[in-house]
Amino acid sequence: MKWNVGTKLGVGFGLALAVFVAVGIIAYRSTQELLSASGLREHTYIVLSNLAQGLSALKDVETGQRGYLLTGETDYLEPYQAGLKEIDRSFGEVRKITTDNPGQQHRLDRLELLIKERLASSKETIDVFRSGKSDAALQIVKSGKDKALMDQIRAVVAEMQNEEEGLLIKRSAEAKSNAEQVEWTIVLGTVLALVIAGVAGLIITRNIARPLQELTRVAEQIAGGDLSTNVPADDRDDEVGALFKSFRRMGESLHSMAGTAENIAAGDLRTNVQPQSAKDMLGTSFARMIGDLREQLRSLGEGATTLGSAATEIVASTTQLASSANESATSVSETTTTVEEVRQTAQMANQKAKAVADTAQRAAQISQSGRKSTADMAAGMERIRQQMESIAASMVRLSEQGQAIGQIIATVEDLAAQSNLLAVNAAIEAAKAGEHGRGFSVVAQEVKSLAEQSRQATNQVRSILSDIQKATTAAVMATEQGAKAVEAGTKQTETAGESIQALTGSVTEAAQAATQIAASSQQQLVGMDQVAIAMENIKQASTQNVASARQLETAARNLNELGQRLKQLVERYKV
Amino acid sequence: MNPPTSDPQEILRARARALARTAEPAPNPSAMLDLLEFRLAQERYAIENRLVMEVSPFKELTLLPCTPAFIRGIVNVRGRILPVLDFKRFFGLPEVGLTDLHRIILVRGGDVELGLLADDITSLRQIPVSSVQPAPPTLTGIRGDYLKGVTADRLIVLDLARILADPGIIVNEEVDA
Repeated sequence: MKWNVGTKLGVGFGLALAVFVAVGIIAYRSTQELLSASGLREHTYIVLSNLAQGLSALKDVETGQRGYLLTGETDYLEPYQAGLKEIDRSFGEVRKITTDNPGQQHRLDRLELLIKERLASSKETIDVFRSGKSDAALQIVKSGKDKALMDQIRAVVAEMQNEEEGLLIKRSAEAKSNAEQVEWTIVLGTVLALVIAGVAGLIITRNIARPLQELTRVAEQIAGGDLSTNVPADDRDDEVGALFKSFRRMGESLHSMAGTAENIAAGDLRTNVQPQSAKDMLGTSFARMIGDLREQLRSLGEGATTLGSAATEIVASTTQLASSANESATSVSETTTTVEEVRQTAQMANQKAKAVADTAQRAAQISQSGRKSTADMAAGMERIRQQMESIAASMVRLSEQGQAIGQIIATVEDLAAQSNLLAVNAAIEAAKAGEHGRGFSVVAQEVKSLAEQSRQATNQVRSILSDIQKATTAAVMATEQGAKAVEAGTKQTETAGESIQALTGSVTEAAQAATQIAASSQQQLVGMDQVAIAMENIKQASTQNVASARQLETAARNLNELGQRLKQLVERYKV
Repeated sequence: MNPPTSDPQEILRARARALARTAEPAPNPSAMLDLLEFRLAQERYAIENRLVMEVSPFKELTLLPCTPAFIRGIVNVRGRILPVLDFKRFFGLPEVGLTDLHRIILVRGGDVELGLLADDITSLRQIPVSSVQPAPPTLTGIRGDYLKGVTADRLIVLDLARILADPGIIVNEEVDA
């Protein structure tokens, strides 16, 4: 067999297609015949129908004529008029349809003559009756001419109907035999075409699908990575054979690539791969890969050496870093504690500053009231001074009056002394008078007693006056001292007023300063809070740094080991 | 105690008899001394009233030179010029400065009139002669000579008559020119 796959498919399915085309042609032609036979039968049915309608219309004309003649009513002429029109239409239709049948045309000519005669007779009868000659019309009807005409017409129509029905039976038989023939042709042709197509399909399947299935299995294995299967030998010349050859070459190529890859995997990079073609991507890639791998391994070797030394240095550095991070974490922790203490101190300072500000405010208010008080006090001191002056004046007057009283007392005392002396002299005289002077002696005694009482009273008054004068003197001195004290007090009050004025200014400034200090302290506290938070963050970061440094140390050690291992790995490769 | 009686009058009378003081016998005027009591320094002195003319305030003493120390000077009392004796100098009592509070007691004994300087005139009084006791022996010298006696309440009674009769008080002194 020298046929390729396309030819085989064309021959097999072309035979089946030819049989189908033949069956189709036959079926088409038979259908055409059946259609024409069906049209002829319909034709016959139309002719029969029109004949029946024409006869019926003729009967309507006759009925209308008779009704009119019997009754004289023009209403009965309506079927007559309608029948005339129907007769023309139906028999005209029959003539048009049966033009292909000369026998029927001939009979139709005869029928038209008979109908014309019959209609003329009816018209005549109706005209005669309308002109009032009902008897003459009756005579015409009684003559039986119309009946004879109708009988002839019926006979001709029956002849035509028979002719058409005979034609119908003949055409039906032809159509039936024709249809049976077509049916057989279609059944047999279809079966034959199916058989041919089945045989062709079976042959093609056996010839193409089996080898393709085999190849699919092999391709599936290759796709699964199994390169050990051999493609079965097939020396066919067609496309399947070519496919087998290509698969075999692909397998061999893949096998050799796999061998190369095996070598590479084993660390032998000395093999050189020749690409199968210019577009051999795998081969080219392998060649480039081997070249690149050699280059990279060389670089890798150098890199591993460098990495080893660098990793050693990194280990040293990270160890140092870890210890530094530890120390800095400790320092940061201490700093955080210190900052916390400072923050608490700042908080206390803030509270104190607030308290001081409040106190300063109160002190400012108090000093304001103190200023007012000193003013009041100055006024009070002035009043006291005036009072003291008036007291001093009163004291001076009192002293003077005391002196006057003293003079008066001296006078009274003198008088008393003289009275006493007089009394004594009187007593002496009385004693000289003897018995006669006894009464006078009593009077003298009384006078002396009075003088004595006066003297005692003046003595009392003098002592009282002396006390008064002493007290007055003391009071005058006290008043003078008081005046001096008041003066000094006034000066001191003025001084105190000025001092309190200055103090008020100072205290007000101090209150403002304290308020500013409180505000500053508040800001400081906020700042310290932020610092504390920042230090806390730094502390956490420092702790993380320590952990990171430890991890880094571990990582550096791992890196060092990795460098050593990498060096060993690279040394295993033969470049 | 008397036996009890039922008569209230009798009882009351008995009680009155029991309580009654015997009336002092009226003093004999001849046995009484009328004295003028005066004060010298802190001591009380008295002289017999019958020799006293009057008492006068001390004023305008005129000092008299060439007289004994006990003559303080002379005074003019209603036209009479009298010497003034100071008993303090006789009795050695402490002296004080002269003031117008001093008094002069004008006395006359025989033909001698003079003034006695006294610190104060206390009173006139009458005392029984019997109450004047002799001066204690401690008072000697001139004081002893001039004393009449001392009473129970330490009143020193001077014997003015003897003083005035004492020739020692008569000043008869000539001063050589």
